[in-house]
Amino acid sequence: MNRALPWAVAVALALIAATFSLAGCSGENSATANPPQTTQAAAPTCPAPLARGWQRLADQIDAAVYCPSWLPDPLIGRIGGQWEGIHSVTPERSYLIGFIWFERGAGEVHVNLRGYPGQTKIPTCNGKPCFSGPNGSKQVAGRDVDVYTVNRGADTWHVLYAWKDDGSLYTVSQHVVPELGLSYSKVVESLDRIMGGLVKVEPQQS
Amino acid sequence: MRLTRRQFVAGGAAALGAAGIYELVDRFATTPDRASARVLPSEQHVLGRPQVIVDNGVEVVVPPLHHEVVTASLKVGETPEALREARETLSATLRELDARYEPAPKGLSISLGWGLPYFTRYVPRLAEEHLPVDLRASESEGRQVRAVIDAIRFPSDPDDLILEDNDVAIFLRSDSRDSIAEATGALFDEAKGLFSLTSIRRGFAGGGFDGSQSLPKQMAMAAGIGGAELIPDTAELFLGFTSTQKAGLGPPGIANFETLPGYTDQFPSGYFLGGTAMHLSHLFEDVEAWYLNFDFPERVATTFKPGLDVEDGTQTVPQDADDADSSKAVEEEAKRHKAVGHSSVMQPASRLQADLTGNDGILYPKGTAVPQRADFNTLDNPFFWSARPGVDGQSEAPAAGLHFVVFTPTSDDFHRTRLAMDGFLPDGTSIPLHPRSRAQGFNSILQTTHRQNFLVPPRRNRSFPLSELL
Repeated sequence: MNRALPWAVAVALALIAATFSLAGCSGENSATANPPQTTQAAAPTCPAPLARGWQRLADQIDAAVYCPSWLPDPLIGRIGGQWEGIHSVTPERSYLIGFIWFERGAGEVHVNLRGYPGQTKIPTCNGKPCFSGPNGSKQVAGRDVDVYTVNRGADTWHVLYAWKDDGSLYTVSQHVVPELGLSYSKVVESLDRIMGGLVKVEPQQS
Repeated sequence: MRLTRRQFVAGGAAALGAAGIYELVDRFATTPDRASARVLPSEQHVLGRPQVIVDNGVEVVVPPLHHEVVTASLKVGETPEALREARETLSATLRELDARYEPAPKGLSISLGWGLPYFTRYVPRLAEEHLPVDLRASESEGRQVRAVIDAIRFPSDPDDLILEDNDVAIFLRSDSRDSIAEATGALFDEAKGLFSLTSIRRGFAGGGFDGSQSLPKQMAMAAGIGGAELIPDTAELFLGFTSTQKAGLGPPGIANFETLPGYTDQFPSGYFLGGTAMHLSHLFEDVEAWYLNFDFPERVATTFKPGLDVEDGTQTVPQDADDADSSKAVEEEAKRHKAVGHSSVMQPASRLQADLTGNDGILYPKGTAVPQRADFNTLDNPFFWSARPGVDGQSEAPAAGLHFVVFTPTSDDFHRTRLAMDGFLPDGTSIPLHPRSRAQGFNSILQTTHRQNFLVPPRRNRSFPLSELL
């Protein structure tokens, strides 16, 4: 097993990242897209540069989605932006949005957000639960989160938080990359912060 | 508290006195309640009276807390006179230590293993005459094969594996780090002029069988090992399962050259009767990969065998003689599950395949384990200290690993077991999996760095063996 992404995926993601980079003089930069730091007093908001994409996704699947107002550097949770590496919506309306910074030989910073509207059961990947290795539950940012350490598919090598909301299952996961200082414990810290910055976006049309 | 091992000093002698991160073992561990054993076994490799506890209904041997292996080349001249002086000096030191300590685990056990370079350089003619002959290997290869042979590279070993050529390896075990430090201070006293150190290797073992956090967990956390948080709190080893089930360890004496009929020519008499073969290797363990890519049922299947029904969170799994797998059973498991377990795939080689009465008169039932494992976890990378840091890839950063020490009746016996671990069973059956496949036991998370075989003489001949016959 490879700690980094499989070769073919890595190349594809690198190309995607490069494509976005080239095209990407889109006006997006950290200064404009990064939200202000979350404070205890203020509830997070989905920054304007991000909100449009997440709203469109919520409308497309006709279900609530979670906009990440904070992601680990250098990622910015803008759908269609420079760092979006995975964008998948199934006919069943589940979604997988992945943000990734990848550099061959250096590693990657990779966060996935998923939602399964109308379903709370853990999906299966090749006959096995996509999320396994349960490692306890905890409350983060007011949500009851189950922690999974052994995950499959796009979440391989990730620590994953899963929570249920209004009859749907949602997850956020991040890749463990010790070479980048992203050890298990650092990723858990990062996921806690991502959770604290999630903003629920409801569909505006049915 | 995150520590580094930045306590290294230029010379091995000074490094011997530096505890480094292993000082924490004494801080973390409670010394187990040990029975006294005053009588020194005639074998060097047999411990005193290890504590045996019952965990999950399984008898488990509680190993000594501290382990250390020091390898060296010899500074002794090749003349009979120089060897006589060296032998007497070393013998006197060992006698003093024997008098001071009862055997480990309560006291101190010292096992001297001699590498083939020693025999070749110092006593080649006598070695030709007296080194034990491996009868099984000689028959299967159609030529005479010694009971101790050079280490080999196994199919799952990485290309940069180092096959070592040390003259001697001294293996020390005790619950007390101070006892080991005193012994190494005496043995490697530069004034005695016997040894030029090549490496120092340290580690620890000990479970949280009393419910407290185990040494591997605490040491891994203190060192900031990746994935340390995921090690079960009471795990005996980094990988989360108990490995010292009494039934999984060879009983005392079974690994002697002479005990099992048909293994070597040392029965009824032989210079090395009471001796054994020792394999020493170091391997890294990718703890983070283990806990992030294998869920509990997969870790059970990978460590033991596929399809084993074990309650979630169990650490001590029975490894009884009755449960031992044959080649046929392993082959069928591989066909059914497209995977094999680390323990089960080795059992056709590591366990007796039929009842056998030893030359010691003891009946060893079918399924009895032969290897006497003495492996221990380490944070060395790959060693605590190396005389050749560039060659050995020495690093100050702690790394999860294992110093694997095992005593077997012959080197070939170990090789058979290790080849089985890679899917090449002793009856010629080959498991159709890549040796480093995720499905081939837990090979995919191991990376061996060094190997060497040694001859451990009986206690009476432990000091410069054969040299007194010059």
